[in-house]
Amino acid sequence: MKIPIAHKSTQRQQRFFFLSMIVLFIPCMLYLDLNYMQFKDGLSRIPDIVYKMLQISFDELPELLAELLTSVIVAFLCIVISVLFSFILAFLVAEKTTPNRVLSNVLRVIIVIIRTIPTTIWVLLAVASMGFGPMAGVLGLLFPTVSFLVRVFAAQIDEAGKDTVEAIKAVGGTWWHVVFNGVLPSLSTTFLAMIAFKFEITVAETVILGMVGAGGIGMLLQDYISFYEFAPLMLGVLTVFTTLFLMELITNQIRLRIGRRAR
Amino acid sequence: MTTILSIQQLKKRYEGGSTALDGIDLQVKEKEFIAIIGPSGAGKSTLLRCINRLIDPTDGSITFLGQRVDQASKKQLRQIRSQTGMIFQHYNLIDRLSVLENVLHGRLGYMSSLAGIFNRYSEADKKEAIELLRKVGLENEVYKRADELSGGQKQRVGVCRALAQQPKLILADEPIASLDPKSSTTVMDAIHRNCTEQGIACLVNLHQVEVAKQYASRIIAIKGGKVVFDGPPTQLTEQHTYFIYEGKEHEMFHQTKEEVYA
Repeated sequence: MKIPIAHKSTQRQQRFFFLSMIVLFIPCMLYLDLNYMQFKDGLSRIPDIVYKMLQISFDELPELLAELLTSVIVAFLCIVISVLFSFILAFLVAEKTTPNRVLSNVLRVIIVIIRTIPTTIWVLLAVASMGFGPMAGVLGLLFPTVSFLVRVFAAQIDEAGKDTVEAIKAVGGTWWHVVFNGVLPSLSTTFLAMIAFKFEITVAETVILGMVGAGGIGMLLQDYISFYEFAPLMLGVLTVFTTLFLMELITNQIRLRIGRRAR
Repeated sequence: MTTILSIQQLKKRYEGGSTALDGIDLQVKEKEFIAIIGPSGAGKSTLLRCINRLIDPTDGSITFLGQRVDQASKKQLRQIRSQTGMIFQHYNLIDRLSVLENVLHGRLGYMSSLAGIFNRYSEADKKEAIELLRKVGLENEVYKRADELSGGQKQRVGVCRALAQQPKLILADEPIASLDPKSSTTVMDAIHRNCTEQGIACLVNLHQVEVAKQYASRIIAIKGGKVVFDGPPTQLTEQHTYFIYEGKEHEMFHQTKEEVYA
């Protein structure tokens, strides 16, 4: 008889895990009614689509760029407005600076609720009430962006704020002094890095969210897909890729420089 | 001499159930320079922070210039705090701001929220702040960023910030605990000289008994949240110190050893 080497309960857990995966997989396949024929048909169409996509035409470039600009502007407006809101809210939420514990906890719960609802749903809600267009984009993105920024800002305040808060409180400063003369100067660069990071994410989001009616380049891409216009679609995808790539490079640079200066 | 600070039966229990202060009675007169000594965890820091309510006491009363600190409203508390300067062990400067701005923060207690946010310090305040910095030998560091300074320099900025408040009382919480012996002397000299010159009463937490004896006009020893000695430095005998630091003798020798090597 071979000598067993495994840890008994770990092994049992692993076996149980894989077994249940396999058992669940079969009913899931049946439920979705995945069809091999559809897969085969699609497969045969791929070379055709690739061929069509490779016929890049630059005719649509001006329109694409204009819409891309809209997307970036939507993201920018959204970030600026969110930053204004989240600055104040973050100081109300952060444990070290909140004037009232109850208020802080209520705000925390609200933020958690906002964050558990996906961004797409927020934009869809905004589209439903505001109608299609960039207005819905800015409004819909506002909720998740504000809640994200409040959470990170508050975490940073709590992490770095104790000494600063004590210093300004001890000289008899008001809550506003604690925030604007104490915490903000010591955290402004950290905040800037966070904002740059969130801006990059938001641009990516606006591109996708255009597809559900929030305006910008996403809307255009959605149109191309529905009308099987693969040539301009390819151009659109490339434009988006280039923009996001550049954006990432720029924000990385910003964060690096800020980080270096902070030290 | 009039009493400016009067503490009666001050108690502080933390949420975890530990008792930091267990009935402290203390009277501080004008111009007194009091050193509070005791082992770490004795409640020295809690006591100072209760006086300006950075920590809320559980029980007892604190009266500062005829005003009840423990019952003060938000506005009254601000006013009380503006008249008590505080010096911290870790300096608590705003690192990214200039030295001058840090000193000017001492004026915030006398300013409205808006005036503070937009840094509308008066020219007279600025002159005064620069003069204070000159007095502690930092005239060449006025426009440096606070984090460019050495520890001893930072603490002198902290002292200037407290002095800029033109306080009646200064609370210094282990002002030299993070400093080397040489900087310690500079900082203690700066605190002592300025307090004496301007007639400011001062409470300094220290754990080096020698330093306390050298500067203080009166020494208070705290152990287990209670006052176990209160009198002039000359009356503090070696038996007292051994009792105060019982079981924690190494803390007592800590500084003297460093001085030997320095």
